[in-house]
Amino acid sequence: MKIGVYFCNCGTNIADKIDPEKVKAAITALPDVAYFKTADFICSEDGKTFLEEDLKETRPDRVVIAACSPRDHENTFMRVLAKAGMNPYLMQMVNIREQVAWVTADNERAAQKAITAIRGAIARVRLHQPLEKKELEACPDALIIGAGPAGLKAALTLAEAGRKVVLVEKTPVIGGMPVRFEELFPNMECGPCMLESILGEVLHGDYAENIELLTLAEVVDVAGFYGNFIVKIRQNPRYVDTHQCIGCGECIAGCPASAKNEFNCGLNERKAIDFPFMGALPNAPSIDTATCVRWKGEECKVCKESCPMGEDVVNFEDREQILERNVGAVLLATGSSLYDCTAIPGLGYGKLPDVYTSLEFERILSSSGPTNGEVATANGTAPRSIAIIHCVGSLDPDHRHYCSGVCCQYAFKFNHLIESKLPQTKVYHFYKELVIPGKEGFSLYHHATENHNAELYRYEKIGSLKISAGTKGSKTIKNSSFGKETVTADMVILCPAMVPAAGSEQLGAMLEVSRDRFGFFEELHGRLDASQSKIKGVYLAGTCQAPMDIQKAMLQGMATAGYVLSGLAEGKKLEIEPITAAIDEERCAGCRICLSVCPYKAIGFDAEKKKSEVNAVLCHGCGTCVSGCPAGAITGNHFTNEEILAEIGGMLA
Amino acid sequence: MSGNKKTAGFEPKIVGFLCNWCSYAGADKAGTAQTPYPPNVHVVKVMCSGRVDPQFVMEAYENGADGVIILACHPGDCHYKEGNYRAVQRNRILKQLLSQFGIEEERCRLDYVSAGEGEKFVRVITEMVESVKRLGPLSVNKKRAAV
Repeated sequence: MKIGVYFCNCGTNIADKIDPEKVKAAITALPDVAYFKTADFICSEDGKTFLEEDLKETRPDRVVIAACSPRDHENTFMRVLAKAGMNPYLMQMVNIREQVAWVTADNERAAQKAITAIRGAIARVRLHQPLEKKELEACPDALIIGAGPAGLKAALTLAEAGRKVVLVEKTPVIGGMPVRFEELFPNMECGPCMLESILGEVLHGDYAENIELLTLAEVVDVAGFYGNFIVKIRQNPRYVDTHQCIGCGECIAGCPASAKNEFNCGLNERKAIDFPFMGALPNAPSIDTATCVRWKGEECKVCKESCPMGEDVVNFEDREQILERNVGAVLLATGSSLYDCTAIPGLGYGKLPDVYTSLEFERILSSSGPTNGEVATANGTAPRSIAIIHCVGSLDPDHRHYCSGVCCQYAFKFNHLIESKLPQTKVYHFYKELVIPGKEGFSLYHHATENHNAELYRYEKIGSLKISAGTKGSKTIKNSSFGKETVTADMVILCPAMVPAAGSEQLGAMLEVSRDRFGFFEELHGRLDASQSKIKGVYLAGTCQAPMDIQKAMLQGMATAGYVLSGLAEGKKLEIEPITAAIDEERCAGCRICLSVCPYKAIGFDAEKKKSEVNAVLCHGCGTCVSGCPAGAITGNHFTNEEILAEIGGMLA
Repeated sequence: MSGNKKTAGFEPKIVGFLCNWCSYAGADKAGTAQTPYPPNVHVVKVMCSGRVDPQFVMEAYENGADGVIILACHPGDCHYKEGNYRAVQRNRILKQLLSQFGIEEERCRLDYVSAGEGEKFVRVITEMVESVKRLGPLSVNKKRAAV
């Protein structure tokens, strides 16, 4: 074997401290060291040319470069090796600048430390194997679960770039939470109007043909991995043909059955065939079979017969279908719901009349809501006073540790809307902390604090607030902390913490995407990769990852699209880094310890062979499984046991 | 098992396993600050502290190391999410084994150094070298066994 050693003087940075001649004398005495060459700056253009030419001429089997930190120039030198026709993994760098020259007081000891490190590298590099990046065919298309702001924005971004998107939405409507909000903070924009352009683009825009929208649909199975997922989707029947239906609503009028409308938080009723709310898109009603009398054995077909578009539009024979799709990536945008206010009994939620959650109040404020936008108490009168309780279950170790970051803003939006609808009504804000971030949120806050109808009170813990029935249908809110106020209000609005949407647990389990201690899907890194899950090819957007506002959800939707666009492309193969783990089937005892230590679910188990196997696409190359395997059956490429042991042995020789 | 005679001017050999993302970068940071520290620790870079196999530690002692230091990302900061927890788990078991061999606990240290903690790196390395110096040479290894 012919090992070439290059020593970079780094100008005087290294050579002033470590005498190259001393190192040369020690290193060239080692077996197989063919030569020891010094250069001034190997990373410079001249240095790289020298290295490339020299490698071509001398053709060593292995190369050691003693220079700066590999964090600086390992990639640089690997590229030079590749240009010189060598496999770049046949090189080992030795960090004699940051970790020797710059930190050792004594020159002699610095030279000895450098020699020790180079000896280790020489012992190790002998064992290096030429490694190659592997390539794999990958599907450039994506599955998006959830058609709220984040999912819609991701879908449009991908569709506009020519990607095919399967957009799966559990409910009959798209738009997520904000389509239920009449007005949005910070600028009182109409929610459905704001989303209108995006909804329109997704349904009928220039790129709509790239989006396969499946409403009333759920993902039931996911197999495969990044680049090649096979997903099974259950498409539940709508019983109304969305292509033929014109959304006139004729079918609804005659329907004899009704039930609570969950889109209005159960505050009013809907017919068995109905829209969740006026203006819902896609513009076609659906039949709720739990309510429809046909599913209770009656021969009713009022809706079918009242349809002006013909007998085929309402189709009682519509059946559930299982659809299979191949995608390269999965984007989770499943949204959130609200913390259960009944978990805080002192607030009277679910017991006292006129105590509403913020979502219920949004629907009450909405002109398409249960009261057509009229704010009234249970006894039918306009409330003379409304208490808004911020931070319900938030910043509270007994409930949710975090602040959702949006509640204060919508609470002051409520203030504004109450003032415009009911100018005489007093508004009492009870808050634990006021959080109004960003460059726009302040205006609603100032509007509220400058409003003579609004009063702000601080409380310490949610337990220090007690809401009880007062006289004439009013509520008494007693604050036993700070100012110890007692106020009377005709209506109470609770602003609860945002929590992950129902079903996150099952979906997480299906995709093997971990969830944090609050149940949100866990990101790969809180700042670097907040839109990526720990599973390669599964991305996170919107409030399924963390509480956030619409702006951030939209941005995160675009971020996930960015991952797909840069990671997967038509005709581009997926590159698999060679520094991964590999299992020797012969030695694997099938104990599955490796499966339990892998943070990326990159190891599968072949039940038939009773052997574990690494999926190189998902493996990040940390090597935790390698040291965890009791049979020594796993090799960590480029960090094999033999290589590391040789390095230790070489250094201590 | 360690020598009772503490050789005057004894310079211990210590092998340091540094994870690529935090502690190796922390060592580089110390380098950039150019603060001198004892040159006794010889670094083996691993991608993750979770890669440090107890046999690497044993091999180091056997080949003449007087101490081993494993530096990991801080809890919660692991580039690979939880590799450092695995390192801690393995280290706990390893220490029990070492005590059975009569190898002092201080000869095997696990600590956390982030990419920004150049100063901490210098402190941890200096402490380690000092504590192994106090213990004196380790004599389980092949080379010193004959002495």
